[in-house]
Amino acid sequence: MTRAPRTPTALDSLLAGTLHYGTVMASAIIGLGVAMGLTGSGSGGRQLANLRAEDIVTAGIALFILLPVLRVVLMLISFLRERDYLLSVIAGVVLTIILLGFAVGSRMASAIAG
Amino acid sequence: MNSGLVAWLFTVSFGASALGGMLGMAGGIFIVPILALFGHLSIRTAIGASIVSVIACSCGSAAPLLRARLTNIRLAIVLETATTIGALSGVLVSNVIPTSYLFFLFAVVLWLSAQQMAARRGDPAVASPAPAGRWAAALRVDSSYPDRAMGHDLPYRVQRLPLGMLLMYGAGFISALLGIGSGVLKIPAMDTALRLPIKVSSATSNFMIGVTAAASAGAYFMRGDIVPAVAGPVALGSVAGAVVGARILMRLSNEGLRILFIVVLVVLGAQMFLQALGVQSLRPL
Repeated sequence: MTRAPRTPTALDSLLAGTLHYGTVMASAIIGLGVAMGLTGSGSGGRQLANLRAEDIVTAGIALFILLPVLRVVLMLISFLRERDYLLSVIAGVVLTIILLGFAVGSRMASAIAG
Repeated sequence: MNSGLVAWLFTVSFGASALGGMLGMAGGIFIVPILALFGHLSIRTAIGASIVSVIACSCGSAAPLLRARLTNIRLAIVLETATTIGALSGVLVSNVIPTSYLFFLFAVVLWLSAQQMAARRGDPAVASPAPAGRWAAALRVDSSYPDRAMGHDLPYRVQRLPLGMLLMYGAGFISALLGIGSGVLKIPAMDTALRLPIKVSSATSNFMIGVTAAASAGAYFMRGDIVPAVAGPVALGSVAGAVVGARILMRLSNEGLRILFIVVLVVLGAQMFLQALGVQSLRPL
């Protein structure tokens, strides 16, 4: 029961590249924000084009959270192109559940605020 | 931002993630107790920061595993339906559960992890050729992976998918509630239920952790539980630690480290248990 070694599929490589460069980018943004927060005077730290250090860190964190979402979107597109409708539906379900998570969180936030 | 706090958060996350990475686990299981017990942050702030670092570690370490063809992405997306629904349930429960219960549950998970680490993992013995599962066949999740020692691809079949899905639901639930990668439930799911080769199960579980954590992190982000001044340095430290940990993994003999880990898990579990009972076991820093 052996098979010839196969090379990574196009999808494997696409996901690997996306996750790798996404991690580098998100880390760099958070690093910039943290550095600004540490070097500036006062409690808020330096500002960059009206953005507070904390806003930049928040943007980096948001990018990290969106990376796996992007990964599911890429998989969904790839399954649709292969006409693999069963897996496309499954990827769509996963995407819906994640977005539901965002919705549930903001409902909770407004419940706390109200 | 306070430079002392930033340095402390970075160092703790770096250490937790590097040590975790050496044994192939995420650092969240150490980060949450250390932040809550020694950093005197609220456990919800610690969980919010940790869940971001779990995503960061999963995304940061995925690329080489994908390129080595160890990650089964079809199986991952199928199992992610269960882990994300579990995560969503965890988010809903986290809204109503008292803090002391979170400490107690965390203590139990730490002790179970210690027990798991004490028992060695091996490749599950599979009757060859294994019978094809009905669900696995319909979803075409059976695959093969490159075996270095034998120099060719080894095929494998995914067994007992419904049981695996059930355990994955639990893993997603615990992951969201406690802000961890939840290997404690994923390992039995992958080894005992699905019977995957160990390299495939590690790579696939690491790949799934990011999506699972995104479902709960999205909710915590919107709810305002993710404090950037804490989560930022923790994410940076975790990514750096995971890179270093993965490098060391290839060179180090793990026996001494394993025993150290078991001791740390048991001690942290005891501290979390005392905290759950309301015993102030630690002096403030």
